[in-house]
Amino acid sequence: MKIVVCAKLAPDASDIEVRSDGTISLERAEWRIGSFDLQAIEAAVRLRELNGGSVTALSVGPLRINNSKLRKDLLSRGPDELVLVADDKLLNADTSVTARVLAAAVQKIGGIDLVLTGEGSSDLYFQQAGLQLGELLEQPVFNAVSRIEAAGGSLNVERSLENETEVLDVPLPAVLAVTTDIHTPRLPNMKEILLASRKPVLEWTLEDLALADGEKQRVETVSLRAPHPVERKRILIEGSAEEAAEALTAYLSKEGVL
Amino acid sequence: MAANTDIFLFSEKPVLQAELISAAHTLTAQTGGQVIALVLGPRPDAELAFKQGAQQVFWLGELPPDRLVDDVVPTIAAAVQTHQPFGVLIGATVRGRAVAGRLSARLGVAALTDVLEFQWEKENLLARHMVFGGGAVRVDRPLTQPVIATIGSGIFDASTSLTETSDTIQSIDWVEPAWQAKLIERRARGGGSVNLAIAKRVVCLGRGVAQQEDLAMIEELAQILSAEVACTRPLAEGLGWLPRERYIGISGAMIKPDLYLGIGVSGQAQHTIGMSESRVVVAINKDRNAPLVAQSDYAIEGDLYQVVPALIRTLKARKGK
Ligand SMILES: Cc1cc2nc3c(=O)[nH]c(=O)nc-3n(C[C@H](O)[C@H](O)[C@H](O)COP(=O)(O)OP(=O)(O)OC[C@H]3O[C@@H](n4cnc5c(N)ncnc54)[C@H](O)[C@@H]3O)c2cc1C
Ligand SMILES: Nc1ncnc2c1ncn2[C@@H]1O[C@H](COP(=O)(O)O)[C@@H](O)[C@H]1O
Repeated sequence: MKIVVCAKLAPDASDIEVRSDGTISLERAEWRIGSFDLQAIEAAVRLRELNGGSVTALSVGPLRINNSKLRKDLLSRGPDELVLVADDKLLNADTSVTARVLAAAVQKIGGIDLVLTGEGSSDLYFQQAGLQLGELLEQPVFNAVSRIEAAGGSLNVERSLENETEVLDVPLPAVLAVTTDIHTPRLPNMKEILLASRKPVLEWTLEDLALADGEKQRVETVSLRAPHPVERKRILIEGSAEEAAEALTAYLSKEGVL
Repeated sequence: MAANTDIFLFSEKPVLQAELISAAHTLTAQTGGQVIALVLGPRPDAELAFKQGAQQVFWLGELPPDRLVDDVVPTIAAAVQTHQPFGVLIGATVRGRAVAGRLSARLGVAALTDVLEFQWEKENLLARHMVFGGGAVRVDRPLTQPVIATIGSGIFDASTSLTETSDTIQSIDWVEPAWQAKLIERRARGGGSVNLAIAKRVVCLGRGVAQQEDLAMIEELAQILSAEVACTRPLAEGLGWLPRERYIGISGAMIKPDLYLGIGVSGQAQHTIGMSESRVVVAINKDRNAPLVAQSDYAIEGDLYQVVPALIRTLKARKGK
């Protein structure tokens, strides 16, 4: 099975700085592999381990994603090769641009049986890119996939909905967005880390993908700000469990919420 | 009725459909068009949409039990192409997200996800939503039409006031998808269906609860409080102690109850974004530096295994009086 796994390299949300005017800065944020894309990488690598084939990691974004640390980090997690589409026109790309670039890259790689994506990117978490990608490729596409097993020319797939689980037979080629609990991502060992620097990295530009208007945004961001904090009473109740329970009950009774 | 002013809406979940109808009305108040519900399911479901305030209903028919809601994408796409609405609102369930993403790619337009609020800037529609796991609020302007937006449960209140409706259900031709996945099995997951969005009181448990058996104690407390039981994401996803429908946060339910009681919940932004509009927030946590403590009205610093039983006893005694 020839697999592509899409992973976004993005600024770490925990490094956000709020400026005094409420706007936010990501200047000092560290860029990492999306924490929900690690599970997709793990799922791809396990499928290869069980069924043979190859895993190509694919990431698109601004030029800064093309650095040796991120490349090594991706490849030490098990993919055989990495395709990077790096172009500063892709800084702040909206989901539709991302999906179109991913689709063009998957087509250029060629002969792909399965594309996996994470549940959502770590910065936007719109949970959209994989679904749009699947539709653009005109292939079967599902989200919330929590188990994948190869079954001849198709996949036996479990999909976790709010209140039920669907078991599906999905024909290949297909695109699947996996859940965060499909697998626990492994930690790269020393051997994998050393191996990583010898694996092929293909660096493509938007021109290589012949994207006429692939960079044309369909959404414009008007503002990006820290959320307004809600004012709270912040009464801390200490003492024994019984005393605390009594005190809380009295407060809640006064609030009229009991 | 001019084209490009109507709002379509679609959700396979009737409660969410009602909320989308009221969201659509806030938009047509500006665009001047009609609120049109797209309904997939038995005919009474189509009639329900009128009762929920839809002005027109486009009935997409009923699927055999072995077909997937996802198969509706080409039919909705065709209806959108024929009718050219201003916008399409879709309930942000797992299936709804899939429908929205695929529809937007097919139509070549943007999808705005998990919209919390719409705003107008002259005739331009703006949508507010969260990015960076609740760490930032972003306002986006779609540059394409129709505007496709997903909206989660509990964001818009279902309106109760009935509008003038035509009451005639229009049948829409089904368009067979180019591909189909075969449904092998559907397994219900425990916990029962719940609408946390309308709960008046919510008891939310977090990873501070050490084992699944301890849920019994939390459920007893919830029962005394007439509260719904909810949880943080790791308990639903990963541990699987509660159905996914019961976790609160950016990727889960958004709630605004009168009382939120968080037990062993640390209060990460991804979680608190889903409950920050609660009227009274209470935290029980052994760590007074947990972020939720700073975001609560009342916090008990202590071991939940001592505090919860004590609270059950106190509340029971109070009730007995
Ligand atoms: C993109 C993204 C989206 C996410 N979406 C969501 C979401 O929608 N909803 C969500 O909930 N999470 C979400 N998360 C996860 C979130 O970041 C946190 O990991 C999660 O909310 C933490 O859950 P918790 O509070 O139960 O666990 P923890 O953070 O582990 O906190 C447990 C708390 O229990 C306390 N405790 C432990 N033992 C006891 C005891 N005996 N008595 C009293 N207190 C005790 C501890 O002091 C601690 O504060 C998301 C994460 C990401 C990256
Ligand atoms: N720039 C990107 N490069 C590679 N994969 C991406 C990119 N953006 C999104 N994805 C994939 O699409 C999934 C959904 O992204 P999103 O719609 O942004 O939440 C992510 O989990 C990734 O697997």
